[in-house]
Amino acid sequence: MSMIHKILIIDDSSVARMILKSCIPKDQGYEIHEASDGSIGVKKFKEENPDVTFMDVTMPVMNGIQALEAIKKIDNNAIVIMCTADVQMQSVNKAISSGALTFIKKPPSKEAVQEALLKAQSSLLI
Amino acid sequence: MHENTLSNEELEIFQEIMNIAFGRATSDLAEIIDIYIRLSVPYINVLKAVELPAYIKKELKDCGSISLVEQRFWGNFKGLALLVFPSGAGKELIALLSNDKSEFIEFDTIDELEKETLIEVGNILIGACIGKMADLLKDIITFSPPTVLIENHPNNAIPKSIFDPDDTTIILRTLFRFEKKDIDGFLFLLVCQESINLLKKALNGFMEQYK
Repeated sequence: MSMIHKILIIDDSSVARMILKSCIPKDQGYEIHEASDGSIGVKKFKEENPDVTFMDVTMPVMNGIQALEAIKKIDNNAIVIMCTADVQMQSVNKAISSGALTFIKKPPSKEAVQEALLKAQSSLLI
Repeated sequence: MHENTLSNEELEIFQEIMNIAFGRATSDLAEIIDIYIRLSVPYINVLKAVELPAYIKKELKDCGSISLVEQRFWGNFKGLALLVFPSGAGKELIALLSNDKSEFIEFDTIDELEKETLIEVGNILIGACIGKMADLLKDIITFSPPTVLIENHPNNAIPKSIFDPDDTTIILRTLFRFEKKDIDGFLFLLVCQESINLLKKALNGFMEQYK
């Protein structure tokens, strides 16, 4: 049985949020929340306490790394999965060292999203 | 926005696709020039081609002159891509690539190096953006070799003879952020109405797979 019930998607592009949502399995009963920039995303995280957060990297107001660090300050065990088209090692390393669980490349595939959710699930069991 | 152009929804979809294309271009550039860079989210606008010289003049009014890389592309989707930097950007890129900023290279060599740097950066960025659009359109696109015009005054940057007044210009403005320097850049795509129609169809088709 999935331990993931609530998912938060933080991305300034409504199209990107739609694409990601379409990759999340519909039969698991996930409750999905959205935020359109890092700052709103951090507020939503505090309000909703999601099990998993998908985070875009490049956003206005507050970028994904800043939002990740802010979320980690709220809850050091928060599970955050970065979504990015920028897969430079430095970007990936920065995200992981800031506490991201993993990253998926944009545009996401169903397989990549499901693999990330499985990884999140395993992380919750530890 | 003028008639027969992209709707707000189509612009949003195009924006996301270009986000992805620019992200991939960033990774490619970083591999080639071995330096960490970030490309900001492109700002997208659509204009009639005749409005472009005035747009460039306004947006780059603080620049005495500009550097420009142009590259033609052909497929079902075809047109002209123009990458515009403030003049001196190529030299800035060379300085960034060199660990010792106090290194000076002979003037003639700098011109050649600047051109080659702009060509390489232009080739990658234009290739990434148009390439991504080609994937989307399931099109096969051929490119002309990129050429560089350096230190051409903005008012004369685009000779009127090279575009059809009825063509549409898609503007993608991005900021190249290197580790220690920001360089403002524009990418303009000049395309005919037929290509815009193809793009509209493909953008809507792209989103169908996610509905």
